[in-house]
Amino acid sequence: MGRALLYYELHSRWNRLRTRLRRLRQPKYLIGAVVGGLYFYWYFVAMLLRRSGHGAVSPLPSPEHLAVLESVAALILLIVLLLMWVIPHDRAALAFTEAEVAFLFPAPVPRRTLIHFKLVKSQTAILFSSLLMALLLRGGGTHNLFRAVGWWGVLSIVNLHLLGSSFARTLLLDHGISNWRRRLIFLGGAAVALAAVFLSVRHSLPPPPDLLDSFPSTKSFDLLSNYAGQIFDSNPLHWLLAPFRLAVAPLFAADAKGFLLALGPVMALIAIQYAWVIRSNVAFEEASVELSRKIADRIAAMRSGNWQAMRKPKKGKRPPFELRPAGWPALAIFWKNLISAGHFFTGRAWFSLVWILVVVGVVMRPAESHAGTGAAVAVLAVSLGMITIFYGPQILRHDFRQDLRVADILKMYPLPGWQMVIGEILAPAVILAGIQWALILLAFLLCPANMGGAPVPMVLRLSIALSAALVLPCVDFIALLLPNAAALIFPAWVQLGKDTPRGFETMGQQLILMFGQIIVLTLSLLPAAMAGTVSYLAVWWLTGKIVAAAVVPGALAAALVLATEAAFGVWLLGKAFERFDWSEGSLE
Amino acid sequence: MENPLPVPPPSIAASLIEAAGLTKLYGDFPAVTDLSFSVRAGEVIGLVGPNGAGKTTTLRCLSGIIPPTRGSVKICGRDMGTDPIEAKRNLAFFPDEPRLFDYLTVSQHLTFTARIYNVPNYQEIARGLLDELEIADKTDKLPGELSRGMKQKLAIACGFLHSPRAIFFDEPLTGLDPLGIRRMKDSIIKRAAAGAAILISSHLLHLLEEVCSHVLILKEGRKIIDGTMDEIRSNFSEISAGANLEEIFFRATGENKGP
Repeated sequence: MGRALLYYELHSRWNRLRTRLRRLRQPKYLIGAVVGGLYFYWYFVAMLLRRSGHGAVSPLPSPEHLAVLESVAALILLIVLLLMWVIPHDRAALAFTEAEVAFLFPAPVPRRTLIHFKLVKSQTAILFSSLLMALLLRGGGTHNLFRAVGWWGVLSIVNLHLLGSSFARTLLLDHGISNWRRRLIFLGGAAVALAAVFLSVRHSLPPPPDLLDSFPSTKSFDLLSNYAGQIFDSNPLHWLLAPFRLAVAPLFAADAKGFLLALGPVMALIAIQYAWVIRSNVAFEEASVELSRKIADRIAAMRSGNWQAMRKPKKGKRPPFELRPAGWPALAIFWKNLISAGHFFTGRAWFSLVWILVVVGVVMRPAESHAGTGAAVAVLAVSLGMITIFYGPQILRHDFRQDLRVADILKMYPLPGWQMVIGEILAPAVILAGIQWALILLAFLLCPANMGGAPVPMVLRLSIALSAALVLPCVDFIALLLPNAAALIFPAWVQLGKDTPRGFETMGQQLILMFGQIIVLTLSLLPAAMAGTVSYLAVWWLTGKIVAAAVVPGALAAALVLATEAAFGVWLLGKAFERFDWSEGSLE
Repeated sequence: MENPLPVPPPSIAASLIEAAGLTKLYGDFPAVTDLSFSVRAGEVIGLVGPNGAGKTTTLRCLSGIIPPTRGSVKICGRDMGTDPIEAKRNLAFFPDEPRLFDYLTVSQHLTFTARIYNVPNYQEIARGLLDELEIADKTDKLPGELSRGMKQKLAIACGFLHSPRAIFFDEPLTGLDPLGIRRMKDSIIKRAAAGAAILISSHLLHLLEEVCSHVLILKEGRKIIDGTMDEIRSNFSEISAGANLEEIFFRATGENKGP
């Protein structure tokens, strides 16, 4: 039986690799692979070469510092393992694919073999993660191999404990111990241990050193390290962390002998956990079937670029407004996408937010003592507004990136392409504009009359706020058109097909798309900036150099250019949608 | 078997679905080649063929989901290539797997569909459809809370909301219980009797025999035969007059029926 599973695993991996290599015959994947490969080289390999190029390996920290680091790592491991007993609430489930469930569960495969299969399969990810961690966290002087093996030990222990704790959780549930009771027991135990440590440290150790005088010099870190070392050495914390210190010890071994000595206990810990997992007589099949279905749904959502759908809604959401059966059909798409965005994105919620901001602004503004705070919040609001321009369109994906999963249904609707595009992009655009307008309002209300010594009269603040409110929605719309254009024009690059491309080629494709979007956005903003500047200067000159009077006309000109570009983009994308042939992408 | 649908005389009924020289290539691979046929009001055509014969591709081209490489499609006299909006206004396509929006409830699906197709009095029609399909008590449920059959029923309710005159079904009985199958067959016959043109792709030959007035057999993307059951039988004079569609299918496609 083991051979059959090994055959399945090896051949699946080999076939996957062959498929990916064959795909490189297509230029779009080859280019992606080259770009992705270069990125990987620069990010990982060149970084390693640069480090080793310095010649000497960076010196080892002192034994005292190493001991503290080891204790910190042990404490982190303790917290991670403790959380495994506190946070999860599901019954034990092994992650199988739907095909594995269909083939293996009805087959005469012993339960133990299935667990072995999962454990062996998880080793691939653990080995890869270990190598990556060893490369990325390459600070000390220990050998790369030692660190990689050390990470393998830690991750294997974590993996086995995760499985073992899920089995134990299921047994507790079977014995009538609810999730909340189990959580209380473990959190209670943790609280008792924490109290014991606190009392012990309080009675046996001197007060912590005053670090403010020497901060941020090396001396302050030495003082802190010494004090932390004393805490870790005090009982009962020392004994509490002892098994966890054993688990992380190979990571901090100074030489080969130390490493080999530290490896023995780790192997023993792995063996103990393995025996615990294998001997647990827990039914995991039913929960595994459910989990495999959830994983399949999640993968389908990811493949369609619909990250939000990875979490399926549990109950229906109230519509943001009443949709009448007659009228512009594109509004129905907007309505639908607003529902998918969630409860918060309604007109009522937005007006409530505005009301709160007005109150905050009015309360904070007149108080002289809060002037500095108000200015800081205003600057923060402006900064957040700027960030939303770049990150908003990536986060808010209630558009084609969500709906191309049901492209065949969208294509069937009697809507011209341009209406479909407006309907799809409107929801994220309106949400983004709503957030930005709220931030502009906050910045306007809290902006002081004098910024950095320069007077900012009320009329100028108002002009700037109005201008930003005018221009930003147009910029948002264009910024949202770009990823949607990518989804429609390069569906294979944004993972819309049946088979999710992975590896260097996907990484490269995504990098190319990202840079492409930045370049196109920059190019589309240039004419608007030019028109805005010309208009601003003209009005400024005509009005006798009144800045406040010239800002809004400048913004209006820029907004008009942006709106024209957006309209052209909608028309182009509408044509692309009408030509969009889902079947071509799915065959690649 | 007695066919419930009388074949309307060609001169009376208008062609609501027309395909002329329909060809669809995937790269160099011809999924459908030079397919021509028409479906008149009141007719139910069964689209039959082995796996990979091009049935689903044909349905997708006819319903405007994918563009044909060559040829034309007309729905209610409107060309899908030049006047897709008006053509689509008159059709409904039901894929083999119901495609629904995860985050819209049953009633929200119907409201949304009503706006897309501009159905002013949709509440009344929707109520009737929900009652007919026996999902009237599920209006606040999300698709994730519905069984496969219920989802199918919701997709059907959405598709019928705008009273389409050209209806395409891709394996319509998948996931339905025996009562649902009976209701679906009755519904197909009722809509054809009301003047709709219906095209059904299915491997369930006995279903097609029960509800279809015509049959169109595809193989490797090409039409090998179409016509009424009697016409098809007469084309295969070597088989008996009472031969069923299964026998005709195996004879026409040259597929091995097995032991």
